[in-house]
Amino acid sequence: MIAEVRTTVIDGLAQMNYDVSDVTGETVLGPEGLDLESLAIAELAILLEDTYGSKFTEEEMSGFTGMTIDQIAGEVAARTAVGASA
Amino acid sequence: MPASAARTATITGMGVFTPVGRDLDQFFDALCVGRSGIVNPPEGHPTFGAVDAAAIAPPIEAIEVLPPLAARVVDRFLLMALAAADDAIRDAKIEIGTDVDPYRVGVVVSTGVGGMSTYEQQSFGWQARGGNAVSPLLYPGFLPNMASARIGIKYGIRGFSSSISTACAAGAHAIAEALRLIRDGECDVVVCGGAEAPFGGTGVAAFGNARALAAGWADPTHASRPFDVRRNGFVLGEGAGILVVESAEFAQARGARRYADLIGWGATTDAYHPTMPRPDGHAAAEAMRKAVRSAGIAPGDVKYVNAHGTSTKLGDQVEATAIRAAFGDSPAVSSTKGVTGHLLGAAGAIEAIATVLTVDRGMIPGTANLDDPDPACDVDLVVKTRTGPVAAALSNSFAFGGHNVSLVFAEAGATAG
Repeated sequence: MIAEVRTTVIDGLAQMNYDVSDVTGETVLGPEGLDLESLAIAELAILLEDTYGSKFTEEEMSGFTGMTIDQIAGEVAARTAVGASA
Repeated sequence: MPASAARTATITGMGVFTPVGRDLDQFFDALCVGRSGIVNPPEGHPTFGAVDAAAIAPPIEAIEVLPPLAARVVDRFLLMALAAADDAIRDAKIEIGTDVDPYRVGVVVSTGVGGMSTYEQQSFGWQARGGNAVSPLLYPGFLPNMASARIGIKYGIRGFSSSISTACAAGAHAIAEALRLIRDGECDVVVCGGAEAPFGGTGVAAFGNARALAAGWADPTHASRPFDVRRNGFVLGEGAGILVVESAEFAQARGARRYADLIGWGATTDAYHPTMPRPDGHAAAEAMRKAVRSAGIAPGDVKYVNAHGTSTKLGDQVEATAIRAAFGDSPAVSSTKGVTGHLLGAAGAIEAIATVLTVDRGMIPGTANLDDPDPACDVDLVVKTRTGPVAAALSNSFAFGGHNVSLVFAEAGATAG
């Protein structure tokens, strides 16, 4: 699941014209990595909601900037699992 | 302050993105030889099947004018505005921040409808898939002020910025605002003009249903025929025109080329009807009189009027009446919309550029398709391009809403200042 979400995120970033040639699961989305601005974070959150049904609050989204892609993928996977078992 | 004591404004750079080309020489040559930019919309174009004739500007990719991360969900009117601004600023040979204090530079680029077709596209997504289909980038991608904003961001322009939404007079209003900013001492340099990309299905249908568009012409290059007896509406066009306007003193000090001076402006309102012009042309004539007074010249000094002349039955006739009323003896009058079509909010800008080049080069472009001048348009209509010095010239823009704007240009350095 994490690998799949990671691919979704990286593909999404490429669609948003980010250079993803060196991007891995360890890449941070905030200033220490890709430096996504707020509207880009918002687009990413919509993509994850559309694809996996994971809704993120504004506060959670602002936390994205300190996270790696795999950390976000883990979060999505956990929510999907909870949703599936409910 | 009388005009003669005010700071003179001068044109030092121009850029065009039009159905008749992206290059100034190509553009002006098309106007002078009557090379039309009007075509049958090709299959796949948003106007295909909806209109007989459209004035379509060249293609442009966002990546040509914006960095990759900013090059998404950006309306075509913004791309064309940026391309024309790039050319105008390059033409003026000015580095903002090096040659001029960024806080002394302004930007006023206007539009009629803004990014309506981008909004339309996003709306289709919203109706089909709900809110998640709508890009968070929509507002910066379609708002009318974004041409000024994005040019400001690209070039580090930090002084006055605005956008004036007055439909088909928007481009001319922006240039009038530039003159005010220079005269007031608010700016040394103003990047100004207009841009329009009206080819969304909804907007085109509205113009068509309003019976405003030229129809029934087998050859699309014949559809726009200002002042001709057989004219039956305007041809919708897209594009952008940008000018760099500077205080003449500032331009002189940095050794800039001066194409022509911008010496006067006048604006009035019909206060009559949301779309129809006031039939007596009273307010249009008054805009021209105000512009001539603002220029500090006599009406007889104006040798050429670049008419709004959209090729509508009533509009052209009212304008001719207004020109007669304002000038008495008619100056030479032509409309360049015969080849460019009507670029709405960009029209005033590309026609100001045509007027500047008329003064600079001593060539008055003729009016395409003026085969049989309408006797009801009793002015000195220019059919074939004329040559000879043009000391001063006036450009008209009239709009839905009854906005009338006239601008006066003169040979560089010829008037006070």
